[in-house]
Amino acid sequence: AEAVGLYNLGQSCCLNSLLQVFLMNIRFTRILRRITVPPSPAQRRSNVPYQMLLLLEKMQYGKCKAVGPRELACCLSEHRVKLFVQHDAAQLFLTLWNLLKKQMKKPELVEELSDLYTICIQEHLACQKCSFEIKSNSTMLTLPLPVLDANSHRLKTLEDCLQYFFHPEELTGLNMCFCQQCGRKTTFLQSMKLVHLPRTLTLHLKRFCFERSSHTHKLSHSLPFPQELDFREVLKENQCQADDSEKATWKYELFAVVAHSGSTSCGHYCAYIRSLTEGKWYCFNDSEVCQVSWDDVKCTYGHSNLHWRETAYLLFYMKKHPW
Amino acid sequence: MAQWQEVQSLANTYLEQVHQLYAGSALPMAVRQCLAAWIEDQNWRQAEEPLSSHAPMLFHSLLVLLGERLGSLGSGYEDFMLKHNLRKAHRDLQAEFAKKPEKFANLVANLLQEERRILRLGQAGGQGGSTPAPSPAPESGREQQIQRRLSEFHTALQEADRAFRHLEDLQDAFDFCYKVHYQPERERSRDPEYRQELQALQAKLQNLDRQRREVLAQMQQLLGRSETLQELLREELGDWRLRQQRLCLGGPGDTNLRPLETWFTQLGQGLFQLRQLLRALSDLRQKVTYERDPLVAEMPLLEQRLQEQLTHLLESAFVVEQQPSTPNPGKRPLVLRTASKFSTRARLLVRLHDRNHRMEAKIHIDRDPPSIKGFRRFNILTSSSKTLLAGDSPQEGLVCDFQYLTLKEQKDSRAGKGGVTSWQGPLAVTEELHLITFTLAYAYCGLELELETTTLPFVIISNNNQFSSAWASILWFNMLSSDPKAQQFFSSPPPAPWPRLAEVLSWQFQSVAERGLSRENLLMLAEKLLGSKPPPDSSVAWPKFSKDGAAGFSFWAWLDGILGLLQEHLKQLWKDGLILGFVSHKQEKKLLKSRLTGTFLLRFSESVLGGVTFTWVEHHEKGSPSFHAVDPYTASELVSLALPDIIRDYQMMMEENIPENPLKYLYPNTPRDEAFGPYYSQRQEGNLNESKKYLNRRLIRVSSRQPSKWQTEEELVVATENLETLQLQPGGQGTQQSGGLALPQPQSLGTPQVPPGNVGTPQGVATSPGILQVPPGNVGTPQGVASRLGIAQVTLPVTPGNLGTPQVVAMSPGTLQVTPGNLGTPQVVATSPGTLQVTPGNLGTPQVVAMSPGTLQVTPGNLGTPQVVATRPGTLQPTGLGTFQPQPQRLGTPQVGSGVPNLQGTVQVAPGAVQVLPGGVGMLQVGSGGLGSLQLLQGEQGTAAVDTGTLQPVPGAAQPPQLPEEQGTLPPELRDLELLPGSQDMQELLQALEGPDLGSGTLGTLELAELMPNMETFEENFQLSPGSAALLDHHDPFLPQSEELPLPAAPSLFSSTDFPPLHIDASDFQ
Repeated sequence: AEAVGLYNLGQSCCLNSLLQVFLMNIRFTRILRRITVPPSPAQRRSNVPYQMLLLLEKMQYGKCKAVGPRELACCLSEHRVKLFVQHDAAQLFLTLWNLLKKQMKKPELVEELSDLYTICIQEHLACQKCSFEIKSNSTMLTLPLPVLDANSHRLKTLEDCLQYFFHPEELTGLNMCFCQQCGRKTTFLQSMKLVHLPRTLTLHLKRFCFERSSHTHKLSHSLPFPQELDFREVLKENQCQADDSEKATWKYELFAVVAHSGSTSCGHYCAYIRSLTEGKWYCFNDSEVCQVSWDDVKCTYGHSNLHWRETAYLLFYMKKHPW
Repeated sequence: MAQWQEVQSLANTYLEQVHQLYAGSALPMAVRQCLAAWIEDQNWRQAEEPLSSHAPMLFHSLLVLLGERLGSLGSGYEDFMLKHNLRKAHRDLQAEFAKKPEKFANLVANLLQEERRILRLGQAGGQGGSTPAPSPAPESGREQQIQRRLSEFHTALQEADRAFRHLEDLQDAFDFCYKVHYQPERERSRDPEYRQELQALQAKLQNLDRQRREVLAQMQQLLGRSETLQELLREELGDWRLRQQRLCLGGPGDTNLRPLETWFTQLGQGLFQLRQLLRALSDLRQKVTYERDPLVAEMPLLEQRLQEQLTHLLESAFVVEQQPSTPNPGKRPLVLRTASKFSTRARLLVRLHDRNHRMEAKIHIDRDPPSIKGFRRFNILTSSSKTLLAGDSPQEGLVCDFQYLTLKEQKDSRAGKGGVTSWQGPLAVTEELHLITFTLAYAYCGLELELETTTLPFVIISNNNQFSSAWASILWFNMLSSDPKAQQFFSSPPPAPWPRLAEVLSWQFQSVAERGLSRENLLMLAEKLLGSKPPPDSSVAWPKFSKDGAAGFSFWAWLDGILGLLQEHLKQLWKDGLILGFVSHKQEKKLLKSRLTGTFLLRFSESVLGGVTFTWVEHHEKGSPSFHAVDPYTASELVSLALPDIIRDYQMMMEENIPENPLKYLYPNTPRDEAFGPYYSQRQEGNLNESKKYLNRRLIRVSSRQPSKWQTEEELVVATENLETLQLQPGGQGTQQSGGLALPQPQSLGTPQVPPGNVGTPQGVATSPGILQVPPGNVGTPQGVASRLGIAQVTLPVTPGNLGTPQVVAMSPGTLQVTPGNLGTPQVVATSPGTLQVTPGNLGTPQVVAMSPGTLQVTPGNLGTPQVVATRPGTLQPTGLGTFQPQPQRLGTPQVGSGVPNLQGTVQVAPGAVQVLPGGVGMLQVGSGGLGSLQLLQGEQGTAAVDTGTLQPVPGAAQPPQLPEEQGTLPPELRDLELLPGSQDMQELLQALEGPDLGSGTLGTLELAELMPNMETFEENFQLSPGSAALLDHHDPFLPQSEELPLPAAPSLFSSTDFPPLHIDASDFQ
């Protein structure tokens, strides 16, 4: 089926881009199609998964170039997702996902949704003075990757960003933690280990930078990302906490890019999505959809001298094999 | 091509799909067919909106057109069925869609979309089908992609334009209705008619808003696609730059800019068109705006994006099409000479300009000079600005062509460098890189930009003798520099990886003589530079390449000498592969060993600048074969006698005095005449400048072989054709003659002295190379042949002839000496390169001609006053090698990344604009609420406004300001000194010496004084010029006389000297 656009309702390019990323993901729509329809009209109006399903139907059978996600937007506004506001895509993605998870009533669907999107991380805090160690598992929806290192130097590639993200950090000075065993504040080594990766992996490039003032600005420099990503090649042994059968599944293919053009205060989102059925790339600019190629996707790597260009902000990778 | 036409040309399988599409369709294909163009021209998508006035309008137009068509159809048989079908269609359509025209619009829109889909499939499939393995070359793939994208871009642009025109219509309609119906001051809020009108107005605004958003989305999409396009063009341009750089170095490549110019211009046109569209959109906003107007929110972003793209496109489109160059035989650009003219040209690939606006282009030299001490500064003497007159010939494009430029050094510019005290400047003249920057004040359609582009670095020389090393710098820079503007490159030049260097060296041969270097050639060169069996990743340091050379000349100077020789004399032989060229002695032996006696090969001399020689093999009945190599020929000889002719006529004196040509087969086994036959000249060498009154004669090459010693000696003999016998005189006598150097070595080489000779001593004298002077010998006069041995002068086998008029000809490469004797005056001329020679004369009229390559010193003496001066090439070169050059300490100026231009994006509604605002009762609003579900505007206002107004300037990239690394004090380096002013190089020296004055001055007046060099004088000679570029310097690693060739015979001459045996070994090459 041809990809169908979504009309902009007023600053809704961010929502539109994310909806496209959700709805073009057949692994997600397989879950979505199995939801239970809320009984009352009022409940239906305010049920995000249901409204999303309605939208999907409208897109697929409307034979239209684009449809308006009006009802869904209204539904979201009931859940404090404001209309006519430019959202941050990473933030909105989290909000949408949480709403979906909350409102999918069937536990098995909730579990499937979690399986599909959540990343498991083990955080380690180890006192450098004694053997005291704190371990905690946590789940994340996106890996928020810095694009600059601690010295504000640019990281060169996505792989570097991932490396840097999982790089252990020593907490010294003001950052020292209280060690129960030593009974005082000591230097700790903080590290994160990758435990599990989901089938749809979301990476968030933190392409902004806070200056001394409250002013934020965008980092538009070039950061190439690969079409195929194998975490076993990116991460070192000590950055993982997983067995070989788990690691064997850590091979990914790029599925979608949510790109931002403009500055932090004035911008536009669009989505590049590879259709999982046809394997073709599409670019979704609200109601405008067109077929593109990898060359177009590559253009979202960024460029240090072109600040208004489209730059990748969220990357969605899909596991190669349906494990 | 129109869509319907394209559909009809689809392959059958896809046509079938089209038929199916229309089979169940309410729009019959007959209607589609007969109104094809009109249908495709309408915007059905826009019309499909509910309550749109567009749909009924379109529907009725279609019916009217159909009616017209029906009327125009004839009564012929073919038309009969069509008429019937169309009439039926007219009826059916009216019945089905009259009440719901928007449904019809939707139907047509979907049909068109489906057609396009089938078309895409069909066209993609068609390509795949016609060429079973569609794997186009990558570069042509990119070209095709660019072309395809460009046409898609223009199609999308047209669509956007159409959408915009529709938007205009919608807005006009709305504007009209609004002015007519909207009357808030009247208390009609309860009037149901008014409410209905208001509702309609609301719907119109809703529609207008949607159309605005759609146009904006199209613009965003267009900008996204043009970004990709621009990226592809940037890559293509980058490739072009590399090709241009390669071509500058003599490499292969096509630097035609035409395709790039077309693409850049097309994209530029598109972007300017988009810019017009954006402006028109902003005009629409001026007329009608409303709460949450998407134009207000998104226009600033679009404008910024477009502005940035256009600027970037234009900046990258300004390129140097022709790098600075001055006409020279080697076609080597980027080496300019002060006071001689050069030209350079820049081009703006975006061929868009305003005819009424005159654009001015300027050039600047070294606008931001590097902080190198003693860096010379130049002025461009000719006009440095030019008005760009693009209108003259549109096909020529926008070109800034600067021709006949000249440079002049600024006074005092080389503080600490110039003059004689060449100790302080850190860079030699030939390592100083200069840049020319073009600037262009571009203006088009209200966009004004200052564009600039920079040439590749070039070297400015003041003397032709610097040309070769200047070219070496250009090669090195373009081969290795990653930054095309790095003027400080030679402050610490990186080494060149051998494979890269090898490629570039091969280009030099390719461009000079249309044949690159073979693998074997390169192997020999690699071993010469890097020692035997160099690892594949070896690299060559800059001094090693261009400066060092125990021989007195560097590797590059040696190679360039060969290039010069090829260019002037051996082009064709090299091109046709007859010259093996670069063969080591070891390799040479290996190649020849197994070949027939008389097999020879041609190779370049390693000891002489620009020399070529041949080596042949001779097998003996027993023992190992011996190899003979002739003393190298240089340009000075080849100018008078072509190498093929030398090979043809080369003769060896056998013991029996029967001359014989030992060169029989060109390696591997081509008979000599078969190989060289096509290159032999007609046997009429005499026509040089001699008149017919002389007897025919020709020049042949002869070497004499000394009994029991395998040493070849080679001399030129002038023999008249009718000469009956050739006699070889036993040598040896002349060497016994003693004589000091009558004249000291002249202190200044520039002033050869040629005192006039006496009258009454008729003499023919052969003078400079290139002029063949052959006095007719007497019939029956025996001739003496003075021969020479290898490098060291050993024997002068000249004896006075029997018959009272002996003749002597003594030759050495590069010179031709003939002195006819007369009246019982024995004559000898013996020459050898770099050595003195003497002719002892009898009877009071001795004659001497002393020759040696490169220098010519003749002093005819008086009666009884022997005079000879012989000089050697290069001995008085006053160049000092090895001066200390302190590395300057430099503090780089910090460079801070520039930020984005400060953008003031406060968008304000112009006064007088119509504003639709919730003015009280009736709430006009736009938003997500559907019709009728009115939303409070106030609640959202605060947030909505956030993004609309101001654009924050984006500071530059987060990259911290970069300070160029401070350069520490480097240890002083040894560097070459530029030639001092006043010093002359070999070429000029030669020219000076060869001057006609010498020739005429000596002609017929040469008197002889006798002199015989002995070894002491040789040594003195050497000591006169320490550190000079002496060819005979025994450290010369390029000398061919390695272990293969035994030292010349007559060791007695050398016995008293401390001249060590010439020896070569691999360690010398390091």
